[in-house]
Amino acid sequence: MGTGRNVERRTILKAAGATAATLGLAATTGCGGDSDSSGDGTVTLRYAWWGGEPRTIAIKKTIALFEKKYPKIKIKPEFTDYEAFWEKFQTQASGGNPPDVFQNAVGFLRKYDKRGVLLDLKSQADAGNLSLDNFRNGVLANGQVDGKQIAIPVGANTMALVIDLKAFKKAGVEAKFGWTWDEYFAALQTIQDKLKIAGDTGYFSIMYLYDLYLRQNGKAFFTDSDLGFTEDDLTQWWTDGYKRVKSGLVADPKKIEQVKPKSGLSAGLAASEFTWDNFSIRYEGEGESDYGLAPIPTTDGKQTGQYLGSLMLSGFSGTKHPKEVAQFISFMVHDPEVGKIMGYDRGILATTEQYDAFKPADAQNKGVAAYEDEVAKAGVLGKITPHPSGADVIEAAFLRLGGEVAQGKSKPADAAKALFSEAKAAFAG
Amino acid sequence: MTLVKEAPVRPAGKRPAAPAAGRRGRRRENLAGYLFMSPWIAGFLLLTAGPMIASLYYAFTRYNLFTPPEWVGFDNFTTMFHDPRWQKSVEVTLKYVVVATPLKLLLALGVALLLAQSRRGQGLYRAAFYMPSLIGASVSVGFVWRALFSDDAIVDRTQKIFGVDVGGWIGNPDYVLYSLVALSIWQFGAPMVIFLAGLKQVPRELYEAAEVDGAGPFRRFWNITLPMISPVLFFNVLLESIHAFQVFGSAYVVSDTRCGPADATLVYTCYLYQKGFKEAQMGFAAAMAWSLVVAVALVTAVLFWSQKKWVHYEEAAK
Repeated sequence: MGTGRNVERRTILKAAGATAATLGLAATTGCGGDSDSSGDGTVTLRYAWWGGEPRTIAIKKTIALFEKKYPKIKIKPEFTDYEAFWEKFQTQASGGNPPDVFQNAVGFLRKYDKRGVLLDLKSQADAGNLSLDNFRNGVLANGQVDGKQIAIPVGANTMALVIDLKAFKKAGVEAKFGWTWDEYFAALQTIQDKLKIAGDTGYFSIMYLYDLYLRQNGKAFFTDSDLGFTEDDLTQWWTDGYKRVKSGLVADPKKIEQVKPKSGLSAGLAASEFTWDNFSIRYEGEGESDYGLAPIPTTDGKQTGQYLGSLMLSGFSGTKHPKEVAQFISFMVHDPEVGKIMGYDRGILATTEQYDAFKPADAQNKGVAAYEDEVAKAGVLGKITPHPSGADVIEAAFLRLGGEVAQGKSKPADAAKALFSEAKAAFAG
Repeated sequence: MTLVKEAPVRPAGKRPAAPAAGRRGRRRENLAGYLFMSPWIAGFLLLTAGPMIASLYYAFTRYNLFTPPEWVGFDNFTTMFHDPRWQKSVEVTLKYVVVATPLKLLLALGVALLLAQSRRGQGLYRAAFYMPSLIGASVSVGFVWRALFSDDAIVDRTQKIFGVDVGGWIGNPDYVLYSLVALSIWQFGAPMVIFLAGLKQVPRELYEAAEVDGAGPFRRFWNITLPMISPVLFFNVLLESIHAFQVFGSAYVVSDTRCGPADATLVYTCYLYQKGFKEAQMGFAAAMAWSLVVAVALVTAVLFWSQKKWVHYEEAAK
C-alpha cells in the first residue's frame, strides 16, 4: 500500500507539474509581442502598413535608415494587404494592442478617433518631437479632425483616369483637360466601334469617383455625419451605368471579376479605368500596353471636383512611447533619403524636403508628377470632403451594390435603397 | 521513517474498514484523474464554454468591440430576420447544403462500392481518392479552384468544346456557387472511407443467398447493401449536412474575400464574418451564430426523428 501511495503521490505531483507547465506556457505566449523598453533604454515600436511587396521592401529600407540614426529606437514591422490590415487592426485596437505607428487613410480617421485609438500629434509637435512644417498644397489638413492632428500625410494623390495609350491612339481619341462626361462616353463609343473592346472597366461602383461627380454638381458623397446625396441621385447614376454595361461601353463585370487581383485595364478588358493616380504605377508591370494618366471628365467643362487625398501615418493613443512615435513619424515624412527610397509609391511626397529630394526617372513616376502638376495648375483642386465614422463600411457596400447592378442582379432603385439603409447602420455603429 | 513514526498513532482497534480505504483510494485516483484532465478542463472552460456563454450574452447586445456592450434584448434577432442580406445568406446556404451534400454522398458511396471489391493496387486507389480530403480545406486549394473555374481556364475551355460558353464560373453569379459545390464534392474521401467500412460489414452470405434466389446486382444493392449500410449512411448524412451548413473557407477564398459577385456565394458564415470582423457588429454576428446553432440542432433533430423510418439497426431486426 505504501508503494501504491508513493506512486499516487508521484503521479499527482507530475500531473500538477504538467498542468503548471501548460498554464505557464500559455501565460508566456499570451504576453508575447508587446512593445516595451529594454534595460539599456532601447525602445521598440511596432509599425504596421498595408501594400504590396515593392512598398514593403522600400519601407524596410527606410526603417533601417531610421534605426541607424536613432540607435535607441527599434522598429518591429508588421504588414499585410489592405483588407487583412483593417480586419486585424480592428481586433488589435479593440484589445488595446494596436501597433504604435500605422498607415492610415481618410476613410478611417473619424472611426478610430471616435473610438479613442488615435494619438493627437499636436502636443508632440508643440513639444518639438515632430515637425508640422513644409507640407505641400495644404495636405497636412487631411490628417486633422475637430482641431486635432491625428494623422500626418506621407503623400498626396488625386483621382485620375488611367488610359491604355495604344488603344486611345488607335481609336483616334484624345483625352483633354476640361472634357465633359458626354465627350468621355462618346470617346468610349468610338473605342468600342473601332477596336471592339469596352471603353471603361466599371466606373459607377467607385465611391471616390461618384464623390467627384457629386462635387461637380454642388453636392458631395458625405456630409459631416450623413450621405450628401439622395436615393434618386444614386438611382440615376446606377441606371446610366447599367445601360452602358448592357451596350458594351463598360466591360462585362463577369470578366472583370475573374481577372482580380489584376485590374480590368491591364488585363486588356477595357481601355480606361478610374483610380488614384499613384496606383497607375502598377499597370505598367501588370499589363502589356502603355498606360498614361488622363483628366477627370467634368459636368461644366471646368470643375473636376478633385482634391488631394493622402495616405498618412498615425500613432496609437495608448502607446508607452509617444515621443519616439512622433520622432519616427517626423523622420518618415521629412527625411530626404526616405523620400528618395519611397518615391511616389504612396502618392506625391507630402513635404518639400522629400519632394525636392526625389527626382523621378521612369516614365510612370514622371507621369504621376506631371499629372498632379497639371491638376494643381488648372486650379481645380478643392478641399477634401469629410468622411464620417462608418465611411469604410459604406465604401465596401457601394462597391458591392454597384457590382450587383452591373451584374443585373439588383435594380438600380433597389440597390440605392439598400445603400441608404446600410449607411444608416454604418453611421450608427 | 516518517511512516514508521506515524504508524502507532493510528488506533490499533480501529483498523480502517476495507470500503473506507477503497473510498480514499478512489478519491485519490479521481483527484489524479482530474489533475491530469485539468489542462483540458481549463482549455474547455477558457476557450470553449467561456466564449460560448459570452457570445450568448453578446447576441442580446449592441457591441462594436470598443464601447461596452449595450443590452438591446431581441433587437439583433428582429433586425436579422428583416435584413435582406441575411435572408440571401440563408438562401445561398440552404441551396449549397441541399445540392452539395447529396451529390458528395452519392459520389462517396459510388466510389466506395467500386473500392470495396478486391483488386490489385486497392490501397493505392483508396489513398488517391482520400487525398483531396486531406488538402481540401486549405486556402491554396481555394486559389487553385478560382484559377480552374475562371474565364478561359480549363473548365471554361472544356465546356466550349461541348458548345457551352458561360465565360467562366467565378464571375457569374448564377454559376459561382456550383464551383463551391464542385469543390465540396471533390473532397468526398472522408465519407467514402466510412462507407467502405460499412460495406465491409455486410455479411457475404446475404449476397450469396440472394444470388441463389436470382437477384440481380441492382436488386442486391437495393435490398441488401442499402439497408445494411443505412446506419453508416445516416451518420454520413448527419455529419456532411452539419459540415455543409458551416462552409466558409472555400466561399471566402474563391470569391476573393467578398463572398460574391453579387452576394452569390454569401454563405451564412461569410456574412457572419463580414458583420463581425469587417463591420464590427459583434452583437449581430453573435445572434447570427446562435441562430445557426439552433438551425443545425433542428436539422439534426429532424434527421434523428426520420431515421426510425429508414435506418435499419441489426438489434432492431432481431
